[in-house]
Amino acid sequence: MSEHKNSRIDTQAWAAGSDIPEKRVLNLGFMALTDAASVIVAATQGFAEKYGLTINLQRQASWASLRDKLLSGELDAAHSLYGLIYGVQLGLGGAPATDMAVLMGLNQNGQSINLSHALQFAGVTTSDALNLRAHQKGARLTFAQTLPTGTHAMWLYYWLASQGIHPLEDVDSVVVPPPQMVAHLKARRIDGFCAGEPWCAQAVDENLGFTLATTQSIWPDHPEKVLGCTRAFVEQHPNTARALVMAVLEASRFIDENEENKRSTAKFLSGSDYVDAPLSAIQPRFLGQYQDGLGHAWLDPHPLRFHADGAVNMPYISDGMWFMTQFRRWGLLRDDPDYQGIARQVQQLDLYRQAAEALNIRVPAEQRSATLLDGKTWDGSDPVGYARSFTLHALADSDAVAL
Amino acid sequence: MLRILLINDTPKKVGRLKAALIEAGFEVIDESGLTIDLPERVEAVRPDVILIDTESPSRDVMEQVVLVSRDQPRPIVMFTDEHDPGVMRQAIQSGVSAYIVEGIHAQRLQPILDVAMARFESDQALRAQLQARDAQLAERKRIELAKGLLMKMKNCNEEEAYTLMRRQAMSRQQKLLQVAEQIIAMHDMLGE
Repeated sequence: MSEHKNSRIDTQAWAAGSDIPEKRVLNLGFMALTDAASVIVAATQGFAEKYGLTINLQRQASWASLRDKLLSGELDAAHSLYGLIYGVQLGLGGAPATDMAVLMGLNQNGQSINLSHALQFAGVTTSDALNLRAHQKGARLTFAQTLPTGTHAMWLYYWLASQGIHPLEDVDSVVVPPPQMVAHLKARRIDGFCAGEPWCAQAVDENLGFTLATTQSIWPDHPEKVLGCTRAFVEQHPNTARALVMAVLEASRFIDENEENKRSTAKFLSGSDYVDAPLSAIQPRFLGQYQDGLGHAWLDPHPLRFHADGAVNMPYISDGMWFMTQFRRWGLLRDDPDYQGIARQVQQLDLYRQAAEALNIRVPAEQRSATLLDGKTWDGSDPVGYARSFTLHALADSDAVAL
Repeated sequence: MLRILLINDTPKKVGRLKAALIEAGFEVIDESGLTIDLPERVEAVRPDVILIDTESPSRDVMEQVVLVSRDQPRPIVMFTDEHDPGVMRQAIQSGVSAYIVEGIHAQRLQPILDVAMARFESDQALRAQLQARDAQLAERKRIELAKGLLMKMKNCNEEEAYTLMRRQAMSRQQKLLQVAEQIIAMHDMLGE
């Protein structure tokens, strides 16, 4: 098969001294989430060594600490939220603005919005009922996401707004690290949350909540985690960065190759060094088998995926820009950024192309198009207009329509 | 203050270096001769730098230096009267960071030590990279050996063998290398 033919070519190039990694031992951060699978598999199943790398995996307690360690250099690269990388690039949130890099996409889909058992008992099991509840006088609902600029905040806001609920005015938001969501739900500190797996499935399994919406129902095949690092790291270690992308690409292809590989990956992830959660909470949704806790079960047409012949891994310019349009929409950015210019600096397209082509992996177009659940189409062509096109928003500049 | 382990390997009772070092403001722990066990003294004294004052570094001196460099590396500075370039090369290969022939002046000690320490740090970084490369190569060799054995045992191709090993590793929550070692051990036990 092509995999091994290619690896041999690469080995020869390496031996000839043309592509020697500048740094061979890498500290790679990840959060305890099933969508960290490709970096974990790359590090432990002989994919990294093939490219002259040794990856030391370092599990992090929160996205904020992962971000801080990326910036301090304690981590060389990390499994990161798309919005974490762009938040740091733009100087939003708790870290100084720093030039950042997206090396590749790690996965699409597979996150969800969940509500508490208490809301279920109160009959709030549909978006209409939630809309009524959110607009009632009395105690405001509190939703947790995982980082103010992160993907989960953006999915939560997008979904709530699409249902007529203003995420910044009608409800409260708090930040909770993903592995602590279930405990917060149990302690009734939050009424709902948006996070990755297995924490949503675990809330359902433990009868603490139910899944109201998957993020793939907001945007089928949406961008989610990326392999991120500082721009300085890529510039100083281009061969290491390319080798890392190749190792993770091969691991991604391996996981997605067939169901048996997915099952053994799920088993591995459940180990205490990685996601540290029961296999029963990890495996079903890892295979696309959902049940929402309200009696509905389905095989999802857009489950968590890691490769899809490279469609998942391409660092699309339009994906990077989308997060900036949402930062703009929700007032995190007070002015229109140079959407194209910034995305072209952050998304490491050239490096990704070299890595993918060396592995005979198809490289799709730089922009992609999708229609989201509110019927709006995003194709990257007019980010300034798109950011201003939403009925519910918090545009913070002087030209904005007053709310 | 830098802590210096001073080894006096000259016939003179009081080494010529000690006074100069103290004058330059270093903390000096001195030892006479190289009849001592240098690695053991390094372990006990935990010096920042090791200075060896010797008329001509003997084979014994070199051996002790090699042991220290291997097990508890430190910057090692050698002051000597030996001009022979062969001896100098041998000393550097053994792990000496700076080789100074003659001329000991208190005011020159600080820059000599600074250079020795900088040189030592860069050597250590290089060595760590080389060790990582060696470890990766060794690991890959074991994995490839196991893959080859599995290809024979299961009569399968290379890709199938890798996939089998990876599935086995992940299902048992192990790294690929662990499964490779198990395959090799099992093969050794069952014999050919």
